[in-house]
Amino acid sequence: MTAPDVFASHPPIADPFAVKPQARFLGSERVLWWLLARGAVLVALTLGIYRFWLATDTRRYLWSNTEIVGSSLEYTGTALELLIGFLIAIAVLVPVYGAFFIAALDLGLIGKLSGTLAFLLLLLFGQFAVYRARRYRLTRTLYRGVYCNQDGSGWLYALRAWGWWLVVVLSLGLLYPWAQASLERYKMRHTFYGDLQGHFDGRGGQLFLRGLTMWLVIMGPPIAGVAFSLIAVDWPALAIELQRGGDRLEKSSPAALAQLSAFTIAIGWSMIAAVVLYPAFQAVILRWWLSGIRLGALEVTSKLRTGPIYTTYLRFLGYVLLFILLLVVALLVGIGLGWAAGFSPTSKGGQAVASVVAVVVYVALILGCSTIYQVVVKRSLWRFGVESLVFTGLNALDAVKVKGRPSSAFGEGLADALNVGGL
Amino acid sequence: MPRTGSGVFFDGVTSARHDVMVELGPDALRVVASAGAVLAEWRYTELARLAAHEGVLRLGRVGNDVLARLEIRDGEFAAAINRAVPDLDRTDAAERRRRKSIVVLSMAAMASLVLLAVFGVPLLASQLTPFVPQIVERRLGEAVDTQVRSMLDKGRLGTRFECGTADAEKPGRAALDRLVAKLAASAGLQVPLAVAVVRRREPNAIALPGGHIYVFQGLVAKADSADELAGVLAHEVGHIAHRDGTRAVLQAAGLSLLFGMLLGDFVGGGAVVVAARTVLQSSYSRDVEAAADTYGVGLMAKIGGNPRALATMLSKIEPTEPALKILLDHPETKDRVDAINAAAPPGSSAALLDPADWAALKRICAAR
Repeated sequence: MTAPDVFASHPPIADPFAVKPQARFLGSERVLWWLLARGAVLVALTLGIYRFWLATDTRRYLWSNTEIVGSSLEYTGTALELLIGFLIAIAVLVPVYGAFFIAALDLGLIGKLSGTLAFLLLLLFGQFAVYRARRYRLTRTLYRGVYCNQDGSGWLYALRAWGWWLVVVLSLGLLYPWAQASLERYKMRHTFYGDLQGHFDGRGGQLFLRGLTMWLVIMGPPIAGVAFSLIAVDWPALAIELQRGGDRLEKSSPAALAQLSAFTIAIGWSMIAAVVLYPAFQAVILRWWLSGIRLGALEVTSKLRTGPIYTTYLRFLGYVLLFILLLVVALLVGIGLGWAAGFSPTSKGGQAVASVVAVVVYVALILGCSTIYQVVVKRSLWRFGVESLVFTGLNALDAVKVKGRPSSAFGEGLADALNVGGL
Repeated sequence: MPRTGSGVFFDGVTSARHDVMVELGPDALRVVASAGAVLAEWRYTELARLAAHEGVLRLGRVGNDVLARLEIRDGEFAAAINRAVPDLDRTDAAERRRRKSIVVLSMAAMASLVLLAVFGVPLLASQLTPFVPQIVERRLGEAVDTQVRSMLDKGRLGTRFECGTADAEKPGRAALDRLVAKLAASAGLQVPLAVAVVRRREPNAIALPGGHIYVFQGLVAKADSADELAGVLAHEVGHIAHRDGTRAVLQAAGLSLLFGMLLGDFVGGGAVVVAARTVLQSSYSRDVEAAADTYGVGLMAKIGGNPRALATMLSKIEPTEPALKILLDHPETKDRVDAINAAAPPGSSAALLDPADWAALKRICAAR
């Protein structure tokens, strides 16, 4: 990229790529507001069916407004494909759910384990769906007349992801960077732009070092608290006291009570710190991930800055509060009008009306917040991500040949039915 | 109006970028490379306008596996193409019409699903309930029992959830057993009745599939005679005789399937599913409660108790916390009381338990 002062003194005439940033995002926020707000109303009116069309529209907007060295991406998927993928997923999942429903009635070991088993199996299904949905999106991503592709096995990926998540949970998140690096390596190794194979160059160790401070700030106090109480508290005495009903807790083991309040404070600290640090975490992950992407000889570096991500989340918070305020005002006006019209909420019809209003308010709240999130957070993250990219070895993209064939949307449907859908 | 213009062409086989001239013929457009070679000739009828950012007209061919693309950035020439090919749908009018029909059809589909939920599911559940074997119903009951117990039992360590187990409570338990035996003998159920009084303050009682009845401590406290308690028990026996619990489970399963699976989870609408289920189920329950009331009146008359006692009990517990109405709840209490009094046969009755037994029963939760 050329320095900005050069850009100012020489108007772009000779080679457009020498002065323009290599990647640009061209979509205006206004267009997306309109698209998503209208879509949210239609999703509510059709009880969700419209979501396939809304998702397709949103992707089209994001893809076709993303320009990389002078050409924009194109999303070639259709809503009908998503709908069919969802129906196939339903056909597969209904018998599975049915089997678990029957198994839950069994009073023996199977019945007792069925809940856990269902949870673990659906977790596996979910990761499978994530991988296959990625494949669908890649094969519907066209750039310069050549589409992307993904091979590899969804089940192998799911098993990997499953094992890694277990490790991450057991390590209290410390091994998360290595899990991410390993999964991303698998995904990118099986990703192709035409016949150009991708790989992932990000290392778990790098991400670990960048995120370690955050982890210590968030997890440090509760872990220290637990460690300390393991030593300080007289556990047998506490157990006996709890058996008796716990009325004289402060007399018998004052240390335990002090520990309990200290622990509560530590947990509160953790939660607040997690919320405050979340945008910074997102920036670290995004920068690390983008900078690890390779396609053949093409290398990507991301210069994403953290400040704008914070602004984005603050803007999101502001809009959500404003929206809730509007909703409350509308509700109060509605109640006032109902009251003025002599409507009683305790009457027979009143209860029905009240429950309908409650459902409407709930749906409005959820869809409204989701719309605000997509416009403000998703779009900004996408935009900042795209605009932060710097490429080297771009001529790798010049002679790519088409390879592979479009995949079905089954993965997308499964992801949607299991509620693990991405975009 | 220009008949030629510049564009960028991608042939759909390699990613090479071709800067081209585009010529508009009478029924096709020709893509010509700078060296003069014709790269493509697309008939107007097979042209499609594809998603691109503002200021770019992106064209492709309909129904072709090779995804060749032609991009026009010259606004004037793009307008010329639009005039030459009116079907390109520059204003999205055709797409909007398609969307409108999709929305209308989806709303119709959803309306029929809602109708199915309101009328079809309860009907189906009622039709299927008689075919559920007793053994399945009892298993179901035990599964639900574990669930309900863990929901209701919020007791502290050391207190027992069920009353009537401590020595001081045993006479109460014996009295309750005598009362239940009278009801069971006349009811002639296919499943054994298992009644328990539990430590919950609300005046309430619930019946589960498979013969379990939980009477809350609060209800025993509010009852002023054995007949009032027996009236509520007879009502709950009605639920068991009608297999309402089993039907409710079938209904809940049907509704979860309908709303939870088919609609998917639109933006985390799990709570909507629960809300819809609660609203629908409470509307189902009105008839069910009325039927259990009628059964209860009949059963009380059969065992020689006071059939109107249930009505007395209902009017007593009515004004309490509205949040708990979900369980005992039910149609408008006044309507129910009137219906019970109308159905009750005239005449007086003897007390179902002698005063000593009743006094013992009142103390069934006496110990801590």
